Amino acid sequence: MMTTSYHSSHSLGRSNLRAELRALRAVARREWTIFIRYPSWVFALFLWPMIFPMMYIFTGRALSGPDGSGLAIFTSASGATDFIGYIAVGTTVWMWQNVVLWDVGFALRSEQMRGTLESNWLSPTWRFSYLLGHSGPQLISMALFILVSVIEFGLIFGVRLHGNPLLMLLVVLVSVPSIYGLGFAFASLVITAKEAHTFVFLVRGLVMIFCGITFPISLLPGWMQSVAMWMPQTYMIRAARAAALSNASLGELLPDLAALLGFGVFWMTAGYLLFHWMERRARQTGAIGQY
Amino acid sequence: MTTTLLSLSHPSWRSQLRAAYAIALKDWKTFWRYPLNAVSNVLQPIIWLTPVYFMGQAFSVNGQANGFAAYSGTADYMSFILLGTALSNFIGSVFWGMGYALKNDMDAGVLESVWLTPVPRLLLLVGRTLNSILVTAIESLGMLLVAALLFGFHPTGNVLAAFLTTVPMLLGLYGFGFAFAALVLLMREANTLVDISSFLIQLFSGSNFPVNALPRWMIPVALSIPLTYGFDAVRGWLLKTTTLLPLAWEAVILVVFMFVMLWLGSLVFHAVERSVRRKGTLGQH
Repeated sequence: MMTTSYHSSHSLGRSNLRAELRALRAVARREWTIFIRYPSWVFALFLWPMIFPMMYIFTGRALSGPDGSGLAIFTSASGATDFIGYIAVGTTVWMWQNVVLWDVGFALRSEQMRGTLESNWLSPTWRFSYLLGHSGPQLISMALFILVSVIEFGLIFGVRLHGNPLLMLLVVLVSVPSIYGLGFAFASLVITAKEAHTFVFLVRGLVMIFCGITFPISLLPGWMQSVAMWMPQTYMIRAARAAALSNASLGELLPDLAALLGFGVFWMTAGYLLFHWMERRARQTGAIGQY
Repeated sequence: MTTTLLSLSHPSWRSQLRAAYAIALKDWKTFWRYPLNAVSNVLQPIIWLTPVYFMGQAFSVNGQANGFAAYSGTADYMSFILLGTALSNFIGSVFWGMGYALKNDMDAGVLESVWLTPVPRLLLLVGRTLNSILVTAIESLGMLLVAALLFGFHPTGNVLAAFLTTVPMLLGLYGFGFAFAALVLLMREANTLVDISSFLIQLFSGSNFPVNALPRWMIPVALSIPLTYGFDAVRGWLLKTTTLLPLAWEAVILVVFMFVMLWLGSLVFHAVERSVRRKGTLGQH
């Protein structure tokens, strides 16, 4: 009797903070279980950080020429003395955004495809928990991903990070709201647009073209540089390169950090509002179970 | 009478062809049901190439990548890379066409029932690539046209010889694809496997750069992949680049690769397929 009454007080039928936290934990646990169910995550975690930048790094080596004459031209154009580190930082930020778009962006869509979204939607839970709960394990796996990247770049490519570790961590933390806010906004659009791979390709493509993952954006035509200034990833890449490779001080990083915070507030708000719009629309049109 | 003769319950080469055609037609219809994907597939490689284009600019003086020319024999790095990208699209389509198609069937729960049809399993796999090869050809042509406008593309060599070189290369890739499909049957997860292995093979076979620019210890890896000679020979014919070996030798390597990979790939696939059938794990995902 006592046990029953204990459970009742925490029941999801009576929404309170503890019940919501319990639901959030349940979503996070489920996602973690699915994540580790497929052993290929090990390959993704250990191989991608190493092999993705290789394509650009080896292309850079080829462009440098056997005598390294091209590298001198690159150094004078970019100001970077370590071109491998320069590319590694840019591509890591791109990979982070890419994985979040696929994982968080497709969180609700995957539920829809599995046929569980409607039944979950009927539970008396704060629905944003589905996205937040999904992001928890994703954030842990991405933290591991970045750590593995740093170790592998050092061991395999000899990249040495000269900056203050705390400032590097600060850049990563300040980047989180922008990256995940965009993921939340995306998740809501995906559930409406259904076949949304094209949109992921578009967004990650914009990052690839405009944000200077492998080259200084000063090489872009003027209009492309203006577009780059409206994308948070441009600031992430610039701040991360400055913090990790140029030993920049907090004062030097502040303009980029401030911009990132501004973008973070914008994308988190946009993500939340879009989620609510989608939720209302889905209830009105009954489209939530369609795919 | 005709129906009986062509029926899959009395397998003949005509009924098998009909089955392959039916698979390809189904995939063709499914593909064009989402036309935005076709546009995306044309634009995707352009998106991937844009950072390479600007990176190349950062290494060039007056648009001439002289460092690159010292390795490859051409300063026109964009034509070099564009050709590699078009060939990579075909590599990807064979991987995706088979490994990913198997995973899709597993998820949709139809793999077991498809497996019960009296169609050779390898034909089921090949059938899944027919549409993707055709679509890839259309998309690659579109990609080259757009890229030619944006970055410039200047093939000046023998197109027919280049095309003939790709035939044994692509057939050999089917062997790779069979073995890879077997791996998907075992691991039951395709995305990561497809992405990583396809990417690694493209990387080490020099889709974006001449393999002699790799660090010394990686060059043997590149030289042990027959596709390296395929990329190299096609570029040699079309762009008149400096090749690793004489073009005739590279053609011989590709033909040998084709026979060995087709034999080895089908052997591995049959062994694994028999094993998962025995364990009863074919329908699991």
